[in-house]
Amino acid sequence: MFTWLSVAASRIQAIFSRRRMDDDFDREVEAHLELFAEESMRRGMTRGEAYREARRHFGGVTQVKEVQRENRGLPHVDTILRDVRYAARMLRKSPGFTLVAILTLALGIGVNTTLFTAFDAVALKPLPVKNPGNVVRMERWFASGNQGNGQYLFSYREYLDYRDHNRVFSSLVAASWLFSALAELPGQHGKLTGQLVSENYFSDLGVNPMLGRTFLPEENRTPGTHPVVVLSYPFWRVQCNRDPQILGKTIRLNDTAFTVVGVTGEQFIGTGNPPQIPDFWAPLMMQAQAAPGQDWLNEPGSRWFQFFGRLNPETGIKQAQAEMIVLARQFEQAHPPADKTIAVTVERATYFGETNTLQFRLFIAMLMLVVGMVLLIACANLANMLLARAANRHKEIAVRLALGAGRGRLIRQLLTESVLLSLAGGAAGLLFSVWASRLLWIGIQQGLQSFLWSKIELVVRLTPDIRVFGYALAVSLVTGIVFGLAPALQSSKRDVSAALKEEGSAFGQGVRKSRLRSFLLAAQVGVSMLLLVSAGLLVRGLLRSETAETGFETRKVFLLYFNYGSDPAKAHELYKRAVGRLETLPEVRHLTLAERPPMSGTWTPPVRVDTREGRTLANHVSSSFFDTLGIPILRGRTFTRQECETEANVAVVSEAAARSFWPGQDSIGKRAKLDMNFRGKWVEFEVVGVAKTVRSANLSRVDPSYFYLPAGTAQLNTILIRTDSDSRNALTPVRTALAALDKDILPSLIMFSLEDGLVQKQRLLAKTYGMFAVMLAVLALALAGVGIYGVMAYSVSQRTREIGIRMTLGATRAEVLKSVIVQGLRPVFIGALLGLAGAAGVSTILKATLVFPGTSDMFFGVSAFDPLTFIGLSCFLGTVALIASAIPARRATKVDPMVALRWE
Amino acid sequence: MDVLQGTLDLMVLKTLDAMGEMHGYGIARRIEQVSEDVLQLNQGTIYAALLRLVQRGWIKSAWGVSESNRKAKFYSITRAGRKQLDTEAKNWARISSVIGRLLQLSTRS
Repeated sequence: MFTWLSVAASRIQAIFSRRRMDDDFDREVEAHLELFAEESMRRGMTRGEAYREARRHFGGVTQVKEVQRENRGLPHVDTILRDVRYAARMLRKSPGFTLVAILTLALGIGVNTTLFTAFDAVALKPLPVKNPGNVVRMERWFASGNQGNGQYLFSYREYLDYRDHNRVFSSLVAASWLFSALAELPGQHGKLTGQLVSENYFSDLGVNPMLGRTFLPEENRTPGTHPVVVLSYPFWRVQCNRDPQILGKTIRLNDTAFTVVGVTGEQFIGTGNPPQIPDFWAPLMMQAQAAPGQDWLNEPGSRWFQFFGRLNPETGIKQAQAEMIVLARQFEQAHPPADKTIAVTVERATYFGETNTLQFRLFIAMLMLVVGMVLLIACANLANMLLARAANRHKEIAVRLALGAGRGRLIRQLLTESVLLSLAGGAAGLLFSVWASRLLWIGIQQGLQSFLWSKIELVVRLTPDIRVFGYALAVSLVTGIVFGLAPALQSSKRDVSAALKEEGSAFGQGVRKSRLRSFLLAAQVGVSMLLLVSAGLLVRGLLRSETAETGFETRKVFLLYFNYGSDPAKAHELYKRAVGRLETLPEVRHLTLAERPPMSGTWTPPVRVDTREGRTLANHVSSSFFDTLGIPILRGRTFTRQECETEANVAVVSEAAARSFWPGQDSIGKRAKLDMNFRGKWVEFEVVGVAKTVRSANLSRVDPSYFYLPAGTAQLNTILIRTDSDSRNALTPVRTALAALDKDILPSLIMFSLEDGLVQKQRLLAKTYGMFAVMLAVLALALAGVGIYGVMAYSVSQRTREIGIRMTLGATRAEVLKSVIVQGLRPVFIGALLGLAGAAGVSTILKATLVFPGTSDMFFGVSAFDPLTFIGLSCFLGTVALIASAIPARRATKVDPMVALRWE
Repeated sequence: MDVLQGTLDLMVLKTLDAMGEMHGYGIARRIEQVSEDVLQLNQGTIYAALLRLVQRGWIKSAWGVSESNRKAKFYSITRAGRKQLDTEAKNWARISSVIGRLLQLSTRS
């Protein structure tokens, strides 16, 4: 029954103790023969006779040993091991080739693994909790189709309802959105980031504290009675100086003293979405004290919490989802919301929430495609190098075929070599990616910090895990087979007698083989041309982004955000008082309200002028908008206060809009209709003014068309102020005035200038794209250069004899040089043309998206067929190709005809 | 006379069962003697059978000293081997009786 197991075990064991078992059997056979001989000698034979007799009787000793060896182990594994040993020997014999091949692969695989590491950290790694596999995060889907962070927010009332009525989760955990609180620590004060959590957050997720304890059930029963906090490890390490006596100390948060009861361990980096570690956690019953002025606990529509569920052992995700949909429907029947929830889905909890959306997947797929191209070039390169090598080895291969090796056996041998190479390259690539992904993350991190106004630090783990190792291994194996298969098939096909006879028949070199080589060369030149031109266009855009001017004031204009509280009536009252107070401040030169500040989101309604239809950017602003931002009114006038408060049907249009809708006419007094809700709510506006065209939707392009519509305090809630200087000191009076108005404003107050907060972000984005593209393009160019050089060097060495004959017959060096280079560069030329066509296609597609007025232009207005980029980079690539092929070609012309004829 | 395919394993098992611990040469000699030299083995083939049986866990081996003070590898049957021998022997008896009858039938005149 278990016989086969016993057999397998003993065979596997045999592989590892080959030599010992061989010796063992040798001695056994020897003993056998001697025992036999002894007996024969007892019967009177001579020693020699006896041994001969024994051998005869035994049968062929060597054959018996061979059979024994075969039956003992696993013949397949044995062959593979032998292949590997042989391959390793072959690679050691040509260290130059091996080194170049491994480096090429390391780059190709490394770039891919780096991207995968980032993807893994963002989308695949489970949370740092116990048994993360059955922890899920909930997401709601709105009837309106609204997407974004709001999908992950639920109210405390929902929490109670779902917690008590579901039958699919062994526990349900609520964790609030991160908020900031004014804090006084002993000896310092500032803003801290906090998170309110249900009492089972730590215990049910299986997170143990490093010091002290986490929350107790009674700490979440009654509001406001248990002011305790658990500190995060980074906060404890940096701000508390690793104070071992921290437990029992108090921290004043928004004027309430909280007692520190615990510190989490270094490994716990929060539960993500966004992946940030708060400074402290507090029981959610302490909400009124920790985040005063708001009510997160009683309103059914007050959504502040993310939900995590731990699935019952026997429950699947589908079942949990079905149950949640029912519960959500019941809840909304009891408490009808403004925007209905049509479904609640549960997904395995990872650090980021949005990773299962189509956009994210497309984005990743696009990146994968680009880095995949680099790997493809590396593969083409190696395939070429292997083809060249295989041609040099054709005698060895012919001999092996002649001795009876099967074709399959040879292919396996050759593939073993290429897979061995790719595995070595993969290992090096993995090391490279550990370093590169750190670098990448530091870049992303710095980018985020320089354009996000609050101190947001995203925390992820980049240590390669089993998935990254698996990915690198899989990519290496596939790579090895991809670049090794074609050469292996080619070279094992050789006709035995022809190859053995082929002494010095360099003319007859298989034409088809050189065709495959040319194709591979053309392919990699094409891909690197494509990457090079795309990178070139992005870099031209990057250069322009540095100097692009918005056309309005950005340094002296500040944006103000603060939390008005959750009671709508009171909030509006507070907001109006704040606007009134700020307008009277002497430091505030102008104040305006806007639905959307510049560079932060767009609204692009359909527009109709007479019978023509189109799309335009549009925005609701108050009367002082143009003064505040310093946008000149070229003709007509701006809105009056009256028009703003009544939301009159008048509009100020940008000069570009005026020119495109009323070309050659005066647009003042003309009428245009806008579809206010995308569903046919057409409203007619009369144009009263024309403003200078600026870059307000995004920095990358001048707004194609812009309609400013009037609105007042009833509708608008973003405040923009213009000060006399761009120093942040100018804001101190603003802060004082607001604090005097209501002390709860300060914790949530955010102020930043348009330049720091929004414009820099756009420049940075261009920089990131540009740098990424340049890195890839340089890599691609280097690989293609090596590829061209390798192929040229090989084909020249193959043609030495032919060149020798030509020179004997009177060809000059220049002629030979020309013929070698022209012939070698033909595939380069074809590849470059294809690459240019591809690049033109890509940039045309990107440009086509600009039909939509809100899309940003990655090239910052550089033409899709920018001649400087296309011609310049073609010349550049051409030069590289010329140099790469001229070096080996020159070597060919130095050949002494006599030597050349004797060569081979 | 050549040895029928597969029967050598059975013979080895039975020999070890009857005689206890033996080395390869001993087993080969024993089989030849019992068959009164009707069976002529290439003695080397015994080792393929021994390997098969060891791999299946039916016999085990250990180095020991022969009666003539020579180091040799000794084989002995295991419990699993005895069970296997039992089954195989019954099988053999059945098959040989069937074949016997069959051969008798075919001699019809």
